[in-house]
Amino acid sequence: MAEADARLLAPFTTWPDGPAGVAASQFQVAGMHCAACSGIIEAALLKLPGVEGASVNPASARLALRWWPSRTALADVLTALQSAGYKATPDVAAPARELRRVERRQALWRLFVAGFLMMQVMMLATPAYVAEAGELSPDLDRLLRWGSWVLTLPVMAFAAGPFFSGAWRQLRAGRLGMDVPVAVGIAVTFAASTGALFDPTGPLGGDVYFDSLTMFIALLLLARWFELGARHRAADALEAVAGALPATAERLRDDGTSERVAPEALRAGDRIRVAAGEAFAADGRVLAGQGWVNEALLTGESAPVAKAAGDAVVAGSLNLDGPLVVDVQRVGADTTAQGIVRLMQQAQSQRPLASGIVDRVAAGFTAAVLLLALAAGVGWWWIEPARAVAVAVAVLIVTCPCALTLAAPAAWLTASGALARRGLLLTDLSALERLCAVDTVVFDKTGTLSEERLQLRRHWAQGADADALLAVARSLAALSRHPHARALAEGAEAGCWTDVREVAGRGIQARDATGTPWRLGAPAWVSDRPDPAARLAFGCGACVLWLDLAEAPRADAAEAVAALRLQGRRVRLLSGDQPAAVAQMAARLDIAHWRAGATPASKLAAVRGWQAEGERVLMVGDGINDAPVLAAADVRIAMGQGAMLARSAADALLVSNRLLALPQALALATKTRRVLRQNLAWAALYNAACVPLALAGWLPPLAAGIGMAASSLFVVLNAQRLNR
Amino acid sequence: MDILYLLIPFSVVLVLLIVAVFGWAVNDGQLDGFENEAERILLDEDQAA
Repeated sequence: MAEADARLLAPFTTWPDGPAGVAASQFQVAGMHCAACSGIIEAALLKLPGVEGASVNPASARLALRWWPSRTALADVLTALQSAGYKATPDVAAPARELRRVERRQALWRLFVAGFLMMQVMMLATPAYVAEAGELSPDLDRLLRWGSWVLTLPVMAFAAGPFFSGAWRQLRAGRLGMDVPVAVGIAVTFAASTGALFDPTGPLGGDVYFDSLTMFIALLLLARWFELGARHRAADALEAVAGALPATAERLRDDGTSERVAPEALRAGDRIRVAAGEAFAADGRVLAGQGWVNEALLTGESAPVAKAAGDAVVAGSLNLDGPLVVDVQRVGADTTAQGIVRLMQQAQSQRPLASGIVDRVAAGFTAAVLLLALAAGVGWWWIEPARAVAVAVAVLIVTCPCALTLAAPAAWLTASGALARRGLLLTDLSALERLCAVDTVVFDKTGTLSEERLQLRRHWAQGADADALLAVARSLAALSRHPHARALAEGAEAGCWTDVREVAGRGIQARDATGTPWRLGAPAWVSDRPDPAARLAFGCGACVLWLDLAEAPRADAAEAVAALRLQGRRVRLLSGDQPAAVAQMAARLDIAHWRAGATPASKLAAVRGWQAEGERVLMVGDGINDAPVLAAADVRIAMGQGAMLARSAADALLVSNRLLALPQALALATKTRRVLRQNLAWAALYNAACVPLALAGWLPPLAAGIGMAASSLFVVLNAQRLNR
Repeated sequence: MDILYLLIPFSVVLVLLIVAVFGWAVNDGQLDGFENEAERILLDEDQAA
C-alpha cells in the first residue's frame, strides 16, 4: 500500500495487526432509517474483494469495516455503498459533521412539510365531521376534499419519500424492514382516497382518509426526528473529544526562542509552552510551572486538577491559569484523546448480538403482518367491500414493528452515552447486559483502589530536626525521576547540589554546598543500622532522616466501596502486595474480604473459585499486569489512561479514574435492562391489543397511525430516561 | 357562503407558500442552532458559518 493512501486513511483507520495487516475503518452512513438497512449495507460491502467484515450499528449509523486497502480502493467501497442507496463519509470530523447537518436540515424540512400540512388538512376535514346531515352542500364537500388532496400531494411526494425509498431498497435487497408495511400502508390509503375523490361511487368506496394519512406520516417523522437527535448527540459528544486540539502549539527551541507550529508537526521530545486558556496539543509531562487544568472533556470531571512539574497532562485538556512548559511524549493518534475517540467509535459501530435476534424476529413479524393485512382485506371484501381497504390499511399501520426494532439499540446507545459522560467507556455494549448479574466486585490494589503515586506518610529522625532535614531531602529528591523521589519532592525546587549521581536500585547521592556527601535512597544503603519501619532514608553518617511512603487510596475509593455494598454487592480486594499494606488499605476502606501476596496464577485461581461458587465477578484492575485475571472475570473494567487504552481487552475503561462511576454504572446497567424490558413488553402488548381490534374493523386508520407513532415515541423517549 | 369557494383555494395556495418560505429558512441554515441568527451580527462577514 502506498504511503499516500495510508496517510489518507489514517484519520479514521486503525491497523490492529500492524501496518501491513487488515485495516479497521470507521464511516458515518447517511440515509439509514431502520435496522434492516444495516443488513443491506453489510451484504453489499461483503461482496467486495478484500472486505473481511462489515458491521453497521443502526442506532448510531456508524459502519465499522475490516478490509484490505491493498485489494480494494476506498473509492470502490464508497461506490458500492452508493449503489446500494446509501451515502457514507469517512468518520473524520468535518465531512461527517456536514453530513449530519444536511441530514438534520432534511429531516426538519420533511417534518415541517408533513406537520404543517397535516394541520391544514385537518382544518379542511373538520367540516365533514361536525356538519349535520344536509348542512354541507355536496359542492363544498367536494371542494374541501380537493383542497385536502392538493395539500396531501407534497406530503406524499416529498415528506414520505424516505419511507418509499427505504421500502424499495429493502425489497430490492430481499429483506423486509419496517419501511415496507409503512410504504404499502400509505400508498394504499392514498390510492383508495384518491379513487374515492375522483369517483365517489366507484369500487374503492366514498371515504377519504387524507387527514389520517398526513397525520400518520407526520407522527412517524416526528418519532424519527427524536431518534435522529439522539444519534447526533452521541456523534457530537465524540466530536467534542476529537476536536479539542488547538490549531497551533508554541514550540520552544533550544536557544530559548519559540515558534508556532501545527499540532501535527510536534514530535515526542519537543518542548511546548501552553499559555493560560490554551488547550494542550499533545500528551506530555509538565517540566516547569504549575497551575490548574480542566480535563472534563476526557474524564467528565469538571473540577480542575492541579498540575505541577512532573505531572502528566493529556492532549485536549485545557490549561486554566499560568503558562506550563510541557515535554511532549505522545502526539497525534497515540494520544489519550485519540485512543478514547477510537474506542467510542468502535463501541458505537458495534452491533450487539441480541440486536441481530431482534432484527430477525422483526423481519418475520413484518412478513406475517403483510399476509395478515392481505387476508383481512380479502376477508372484509366478502363481508363489507366498502371497509376492506380501511381494515387492511389499519392492520398494516398498527403493527408496524418500529418499536420492536428501536427498543434495544435506543436503550443501549443512550446508556453508553450516559456512561461515557461519567468517564466510563464501554468497548463492548453487551457488557451492559452482563453488568446486571454482577454480585461480586473484585478490586486490584495498586493503581486501582490506590493512586499509583506514593505519599509521604511519616518522617522521623533521632537527635535531629526532622522537618529541616525533610526540606533538604526534598530539594535533593527534585533532581531524581524515580517514583519514590518524585513522591517525596512533590514539586519542591531543586537545591544547589553538585556531583549528583544516581545509583540504580539504591538511590541518589550528591554533595551539598559545603562538600558533604548526602545519600537519599534505600535505608540499608544510607545507614548501617536501617530502621525496619522506614521505606526510604536520607542522611550522611549518623544523621539520618527516616521516611515512610504509603499508597494513598483514591479520594472517592471509600465512598465507592460503601455505595457498592449498599447495592448488595460483595467487595473483595485481591492484591499481590505485602499483607501489611493490603490489610491497611482494606481497613481504611472497610473491605472485609481481602487477599494479599497473590501471584497472577493464584489471582486467577481465586476468581475461578468464586465463580465456581456461583458468584458473578466484576474485576477492576489496571489492565496491564492483571490481564489474565481480567480475562477470567465475567465483566472486566480497566483503569485506563495513555497508550495502553487501545490495547486493553477490557469491556469498559474507567478513563476518569473516578471509582464512584462503578456503582453508578452498575445501577445504570440495571436501569437499562429495565427500560429494555419495558420497551419490548410495550411493543408486544401494543401489538397483541391492537391487531385483533384492527382485524375486527374497530380501529380506523387514523387511530392506528396515532397508536403506532406513539409506540415508537414511547420507546425512544423511554430510552432517553437513561440519560439522566 | 359563496365566498368559501374563493377562500378555500386561496388558503391552500397560501399554505403552500408558507411551506416554501419555511423551506428556504431551513435550507439557509437559519434553524441549525438557536443562537446562530442572534449571534450573527457579532461576527465578521467571513466568519459567518
